Amino acid sequence: MSHSTVPRTRAEAKTDEKTPAGSGDTAGPRGKRRAGKLSLRLRFRRDRTLILMTLPAILLLLVFNYIPIFGNVVAFQDYDPYLSDNGFVAMFESPWVGFEQFERIFQDSGFWHAVQNTFVLFFLQLVLFFPIPILLALVINSVIRPRVRAVAQAIMYLPHFFSWVLVVTVFQQIFGGAGIIAQTLRQHGYEGFDLMTDPGIFKFLVTAEGVWKDAGWGIIVFLAALSAVSNDLYEAAAMDGAGRWRRMWHITLPALRPVIALLLVLRVGDALTVGFEQLLLQRDSVGPGASEVLDTYVWWNGIRNQDFSYAAAAGLIKGVVGLALVLTANKVAHLMGEQGVYKK
Amino acid sequence: MTPNAAASSAPSRRSFLASTAVATAAVAGGMPLLAACGGGQSGSKDGTTSGKAAEKLLPAFVASTVVVPDIPSKNGSSAGFTKPIDLDALKTSVPKKLGGGSQLKVMAPMWGSPPSNDNAYYTAVNEAVGVKVTWQNQDGNTYDEKLGAVLASSDIPDVVVVPGWNLNGKIPSAINAKFADLGPYLSGDKVKAYPNLAAVPTDAWQRSIFGGQLRAIPMPASYVTNIVPFYRKDIFEAKGYELPKTADEFLAWAKEATDAKAKVWACDDLKWTAFNIYGVLNGSDKALWWDLRDGKLVNRIETDEYLEALEWMRKLYAAGVVHPDAKAVKGDASNRFTAGQSLVFNGDISYWYGSTAEQRTQKTAFEMGAFDIFGPDGGDPTIYATQPAGIFTFVSKKASKQQIKDFLALANYCAAPYGTKEYMLTAYGVEGTDYTLKDGMPVKTAKGNNEVFGAYDYTGDPASYLAHPDLPEIAKLQVEWQQRMGAFTKKSSFYGLTITEPNRFTNLANDFEQLEDDVVRGRKKISDVQQAVSDWKSKGGDGLRDWYQKLLDDNGSAAN
Repeated sequence: MSHSTVPRTRAEAKTDEKTPAGSGDTAGPRGKRRAGKLSLRLRFRRDRTLILMTLPAILLLLVFNYIPIFGNVVAFQDYDPYLSDNGFVAMFESPWVGFEQFERIFQDSGFWHAVQNTFVLFFLQLVLFFPIPILLALVINSVIRPRVRAVAQAIMYLPHFFSWVLVVTVFQQIFGGAGIIAQTLRQHGYEGFDLMTDPGIFKFLVTAEGVWKDAGWGIIVFLAALSAVSNDLYEAAAMDGAGRWRRMWHITLPALRPVIALLLVLRVGDALTVGFEQLLLQRDSVGPGASEVLDTYVWWNGIRNQDFSYAAAAGLIKGVVGLALVLTANKVAHLMGEQGVYKK
Repeated sequence: MTPNAAASSAPSRRSFLASTAVATAAVAGGMPLLAACGGGQSGSKDGTTSGKAAEKLLPAFVASTVVVPDIPSKNGSSAGFTKPIDLDALKTSVPKKLGGGSQLKVMAPMWGSPPSNDNAYYTAVNEAVGVKVTWQNQDGNTYDEKLGAVLASSDIPDVVVVPGWNLNGKIPSAINAKFADLGPYLSGDKVKAYPNLAAVPTDAWQRSIFGGQLRAIPMPASYVTNIVPFYRKDIFEAKGYELPKTADEFLAWAKEATDAKAKVWACDDLKWTAFNIYGVLNGSDKALWWDLRDGKLVNRIETDEYLEALEWMRKLYAAGVVHPDAKAVKGDASNRFTAGQSLVFNGDISYWYGSTAEQRTQKTAFEMGAFDIFGPDGGDPTIYATQPAGIFTFVSKKASKQQIKDFLALANYCAAPYGTKEYMLTAYGVEGTDYTLKDGMPVKTAKGNNEVFGAYDYTGDPASYLAHPDLPEIAKLQVEWQQRMGAFTKKSSFYGLTITEPNRFTNLANDFEQLEDDVVRGRKKISDVQQAVSDWKSKGGDGLRDWYQKLLDDNGSAAN
């Protein structure tokens, strides 16, 4: 998960929403004057430097995120990129088939199986993965000596920079049927075991790999939120006789609440994305029955079978469901009194 | 495929084959037109071209007399060279430079790290041929993913290499739409301008007819199965094991030989060998999946042999005699074999040389041999032939006439037979830089190992041969194995043809390979295969059978 700007406090988040994207830092001097009251031209002149600065990012967004959206039209075609000299032009020459691709998808038990696997993995990750960075952040935050803290953080961040190929290989070498643990057991007269090829526990294995690789990286956001909590609060609470647990309950956790809510909304919006490379790498170990999720399903049909329209349709379904999820989660966050991702 | 094994460094060849062994499984249908519409222009027409229509396109065959192999080809085997190259008496097969100096961008798969384009080896070959080749090498393991996108762009390279196992989905129709007809330059006697190409066997050229036109330079291969069951000869001798001669004996031996505590398992995944033992139709090309039995076309997945082979392999897995990493499909089977963690593994025939050469340099006691494939109950097996050409090289339609001629000059040069000056340059590079002489034998330098592999292998090859100047006895063993197995090899009904299935059928059987792997590993049951076969029939398998039947009626059978 990557998260860009996280409002540090609720007050600051509120100012943010009134200003154009990216200009949060200038909100202060303008005070409470409503931006909407200025004419568009004036506002443009006032913010032109800032707008200029956002242009490269907008350009990237346009080229790599918005323009490709038009490619979704192939979901309603029987697209053949080789009909014309150029795959793009071929989009205009491929026959339209309406919702035929979607009908095929909904009739494919493989698709529903992938959906099921996706949701199971998502819930597992939510329950078993999501809380771990928060706990780790609390632990790290309680370490006072800067050197110990730095070393601990470095060790926790490190696996994030390993590729999935490496992570899977390390797990295979440790937990595989000929791995270190199984061989050690055998040499001492016990039965060996093989965690890597058991479809039944595959989803837990995937989650465990994810935790090992990325939980450390996930603590960064929480640590940032924690560092914004004023020490005065802790001191005052201690003066009032609050113990360690009470301080955590009444000061630390409330400080983390907006961040947790924000990340939760983002995670739910991303629910259908549960890993791609990691699952593809282990597909042959446990078979597609246990490892096929929506993303690998799209890849298999689109890239491997070159059934581009079919894959595009499956991807589109995923996108639409994802959008609905993020809107719902955002709404729920508002109802709970949290900021969520955005507000009208 | 039969590599010119001597031409490449061991590691790259190994990974190349590892990937082919896997990829062969999935392989797809070829393409081109019904004979009825033979001669038609491009498009994504399906069918094939054979008989009279093909005769008009095929180049004339003029055997090469420059070098005579020590073991001639027999029963479909490669030819073998078992004597050292006489470096003082190298023959010349390309007496004058044919190239006209065109620029050629070549996209090709590579298994290994590509060297920079201006290295001494590439420069020397370019200079000798008279072309300026720029290589665009892509990772061979994911080549199919790139190929689809590159062919969909308007800017395809001048020359594109397409391995037969990448002819999936819509790639065949892309080939017909994007690549030039080489017929005007090669058909009939025209090929005589390129003597080394004229010596390429007609069987291989037949495979190069895509969409009713001769579009590719083929890489000829032996039609005897390339998947060889290897065993650790040194360990078998030390332990006093006898070679099993039936499927049951093998299982019994495997149980005895497995010692998980010592990290030794009897075998690696042997699915491909299981298919050969039980006489299952060859899986390396979709057209080979069909055969005429009692007047009716039958697909390999419908046969009892197919289920029996899967069941036998399933028993091996269930007995715990297969290396756990093979069950997880992780790591490299040949490494487990050389490390002594598995005693039997199957892979491309080139491992015989690759692994032996690698272990010789490390001075281990390693010795490997190959089983003769046995019938399930002992006795003679029935083995089905693989295609006589497996990798194809095409020229873009947009290439100029001069570029096409220069490409053919390159292909002619690279197709020079073993023991010629041209061969020494393409296989070993520049003397002094890429190889040095040691006791009269060429030995690649470190630079040579990094630069001289996997590039000019794909732009033209002579008739399939096996030669290892440093290990001549291995070449002999390989050819003899092919000849023994060749005697049991049958050609199925569509052997030798490149066939394009209609688009609606191309993905029909794509999931069977996954299913096979699920079944042998015990994740699914044999009955799941039977269910999948009946689904396959109703979803189009029977339609595909009718389509192939019509093809057979129009073209006649290749079976023997």
